[in-house]
Amino acid sequence: MLNYRDLDWKLIGAALALSLIGVILIMSAQHYAESDYARAYYQRQLIWLAVALVVFAIVIHLPLRLFDLGAYLFYGIAVAMLILVLIIGSTRMGANRWFAFGPVSLAPSDIAKIALVFALARFFAYTKWPPTSKRRLTVSAIMTVIPIALILKQPDLGTSLVFFVILFVLWFWSGLSPWYLLLILSPLASLVAASYWWSWALYFVVLLTFLGIIRPGIFFSVMVVVANLAFGIVTPIVWGRLAEYQRLRILTFLNPELDPRGAGYQIIQSKIAIGSGGLWGKGFLNGSQSRLEFLPERHTDFIFSVLGEEFGLWGALIVLGLFAYILIRSIRIAMRCRSRFASHIVMGAVAIIVFQMLVNIGMTLGFMPVTGLPLPFVSYGGTGLVLVWTLIALIVSADYHWQEY
Amino acid sequence: MDRFKLTLSGRALWATAMVALLFIFLFGGLVKLQLVNHAELAKRSENNRLRVVPIIPRRGIVYDRDGRVIIDNRPSYTVSIVPAEMVSDRTVPHLAGLIELDSAQILKRMLRNQVSRQQPAPVKKDVPFDAIAVLEEQSLAFPGVSYQMERVRMYVDSLGAEAFTGYVGEVSPEDLSESDGERQGYQPGSMIGKKGLEKQYDQLLRGREGTEYVEIAASGQILGPYTEREALEAIPGSDITLSIDIDVQEAAVHALDSFCCGAVVAMDPRTGEVLAATSYPGFDANIFSSVIPESLWTEIRTDSTHPLLNRVLNGLYPPGSTTKLITVGAALEEGLINEHTTLKPCYGGMQFGNRFFRCWEHSGHGTLNCIHALEQSCDVFMYQIGLSLGIDLLHDYFAKCGFGRPTGIDLPGESDGLNPDTKYYDERYGKNKWTRALVLNNAIGQGEILSTPLQLAQFYCGIANDGLVYRPHLVKKISRPNGEEINVPPVVSFRLPFSKQTLDILYEGIRLVVEGERGTARAQRRKDYTVGGKTGTAQNPHGENHAWFCGVAPLEHPEIVVCAIVENSGDGSKYAAPVVGKVIKAYMDKRTARADMANLTPVDTSHAEL
Repeated sequence: MLNYRDLDWKLIGAALALSLIGVILIMSAQHYAESDYARAYYQRQLIWLAVALVVFAIVIHLPLRLFDLGAYLFYGIAVAMLILVLIIGSTRMGANRWFAFGPVSLAPSDIAKIALVFALARFFAYTKWPPTSKRRLTVSAIMTVIPIALILKQPDLGTSLVFFVILFVLWFWSGLSPWYLLLILSPLASLVAASYWWSWALYFVVLLTFLGIIRPGIFFSVMVVVANLAFGIVTPIVWGRLAEYQRLRILTFLNPELDPRGAGYQIIQSKIAIGSGGLWGKGFLNGSQSRLEFLPERHTDFIFSVLGEEFGLWGALIVLGLFAYILIRSIRIAMRCRSRFASHIVMGAVAIIVFQMLVNIGMTLGFMPVTGLPLPFVSYGGTGLVLVWTLIALIVSADYHWQEY
Repeated sequence: MDRFKLTLSGRALWATAMVALLFIFLFGGLVKLQLVNHAELAKRSENNRLRVVPIIPRRGIVYDRDGRVIIDNRPSYTVSIVPAEMVSDRTVPHLAGLIELDSAQILKRMLRNQVSRQQPAPVKKDVPFDAIAVLEEQSLAFPGVSYQMERVRMYVDSLGAEAFTGYVGEVSPEDLSESDGERQGYQPGSMIGKKGLEKQYDQLLRGREGTEYVEIAASGQILGPYTEREALEAIPGSDITLSIDIDVQEAAVHALDSFCCGAVVAMDPRTGEVLAATSYPGFDANIFSSVIPESLWTEIRTDSTHPLLNRVLNGLYPPGSTTKLITVGAALEEGLINEHTTLKPCYGGMQFGNRFFRCWEHSGHGTLNCIHALEQSCDVFMYQIGLSLGIDLLHDYFAKCGFGRPTGIDLPGESDGLNPDTKYYDERYGKNKWTRALVLNNAIGQGEILSTPLQLAQFYCGIANDGLVYRPHLVKKISRPNGEEINVPPVVSFRLPFSKQTLDILYEGIRLVVEGERGTARAQRRKDYTVGGKTGTAQNPHGENHAWFCGVAPLEHPEIVVCAIVENSGDGSKYAAPVVGKVIKAYMDKRTARADMANLTPVDTSHAEL
């Protein structure tokens, strides 16, 4: 049996505070909605929170060893579900993302996030291959790309990016130097640098100098250079062949304000909502942007805008502070864990939470594309809430058992 | 290879630093929006939910001097479709049968005017009331169709009054930038007077637009009043009573309608009040209250008779013999002649230099004094005194009689006319490149001299009013919405540069034109009242001469001056004098009828019912 007094109650408290703030904001967001269904969103979120807490209670009672042993099996099941959802999933807004069980719908991509964290954690915890070895990098990359490929088919770009981030964070955590990470990410920079031939040439000089200093080995160096060349050459060609509307779609994805009536409308209204909140906010249930429905998706993707409008900068800072507390505390837990598996699990959880939070809040502030990633704990959504509370349970559990190998 | 490997705590530090950096980044974003840009974004948030609804007040009604309506307002209905409430197989086909547009046109207009799916998109303006009644009764057959009422101007047709009424139109960007349009309460979409009285008295007629603030949802749905700003009540426009007499006005229009083109101005010389003013042909000012079909507009613009030209204010014609009064008056004032002086006899013309200047009467007038010279409109007499006066002296007298500058009537856009002097000819032809012979033309009102019918009428008002000229004006009374009434008093404009003696001589001249044995307008002689006047025949190099007549009645105590021009017709006596005669008759008949009524009414009925 657990000794409950030794659980990290501060961490649990922070997570609970965020979840309750979420319920309050959801209530405000749909308070003036016409349909009874929409007005009751916050009640459903409360029920989901109860479910999430039950899941949390179950998970902290399970031994971490169980997840360790079952990691690959869990991963396999998650991949199978991703395949299945493409075949029998219900379609909403043009994407096959959900299994529908009556009123409840389940997004297998949420499950796959945890599954990937388990699988990678197990792989990095026991592999004898050194952090920069070809095999280690390749195998872990393949493990990540499989669910990504399936999710891109749904299609859901935002969620698939979460998987990449999990991989990169765990690479780093398992000992891959940040300089290597930079080199692996360098083709993206090449893509931008290739806009002009002179900037591209300059970029290559920098890249080669960098390789010369770090000397990551022939194979790695050649791969990096080839990837950089390929991105630099192929992308402008592909770009040139795209039809005007396709280019426009990519550009508006990167900068939504190019399209003030479409994607940009949401961003502009969100910025107006947050900015008009000012320091103290307009007060609970009093945000006109939200009440008069200028804010789109206000109980899900743009819940942070409701916060900014009604509770102002101080409200937003409380939420940011709670997130910061959870994340920084989790990193300390990950550092302290003697079990390599548990340590990687915690960092995987940190990766998921930090990335979704960054992309979501960044979107509401207007400097991130609209990807449809919800704000962990706060946004309306059952599976999202259960997922994030599962992550909290794993972190709390890892902390509780920190001395175990 | 492992030179760069970090220890576990090193990695934890890195990770913590990265997370901290992200939070600083997000914090910065929040500060920028919520503190730095707060004011601007708060305003945009207010603007999002605030809609300003203008309340257009009733525009002032314009009456004639007897309180009969000249400009009124009428309701005009605009039919709109709310796209979100439209039922595709019912709304448009049913509407197509009702408002004379086919389905494709309706859809096209709806899409063009659509603001949001919840807001009515106008498809047709000025729909007849019958169609609106159908919409109202059978609203179920027209899902999503609504209509809005606005008031538009209605000008009583058959008055030919657009020369002074003008018309209204939507405010243009120039109107807004000019004269602080915005500050005076004009907004894009406001109506503004474009010409005539509507323009001159726009501020009075329009009243003050009110504003109502309502809160709207993102869908465009109106939720209710926006309570944080106080609504501004609309103030109706003032009504205006004109000096125009519809009976005289109608007589003027009818008198002209058998001709191609012309103009009539009738004034009361005792006050400067304009009794009638018409420019023929005109246009129907009501077309500006509705949507003007392109074809109609092109037709009006390209019409060779220029219906858009306001001949009363902007028609520039040589005044011809009508200004011989000035020539004679100047000579009398300068002491060149007296009423008995006879000059060299008229043999049908006069040699000057190497040119022979004809008199209109080719058989000649013989020997005349100035009164008979006016009666018979002898050109040779005028040539002789014109030569003695010289160009600049004649110019001065014309100027002192009100020519070459606007009369100052309460209408916008009046023309100056043209009153040439030496300087003018030097500029036009070059110094010493013109001859003194030009003064011969000026002396008979030909050549470069140009006058508007209004300037000429003003001058004859002076002749009829012992030399005192009142500024021509149309507005007699302004009735404010609060019941206050402001009477507009007559304003003295100037005095003719003639002594009483000179005026009497000139007056005798215009009396003889009608009453005299050989007067050029003998045909206008009446039994019941006396008429005086002066004919004019302005030479027109482009065709038949323009006929002028300026008449005064009754001669004993002049009450009306009428000035008429009939373009391209011929002699003034033959074409313009009858027009003036008819207008004067209408006035005098009405006056007699009124007097008869006044003699009948003194029956005291105040006790009858008690």
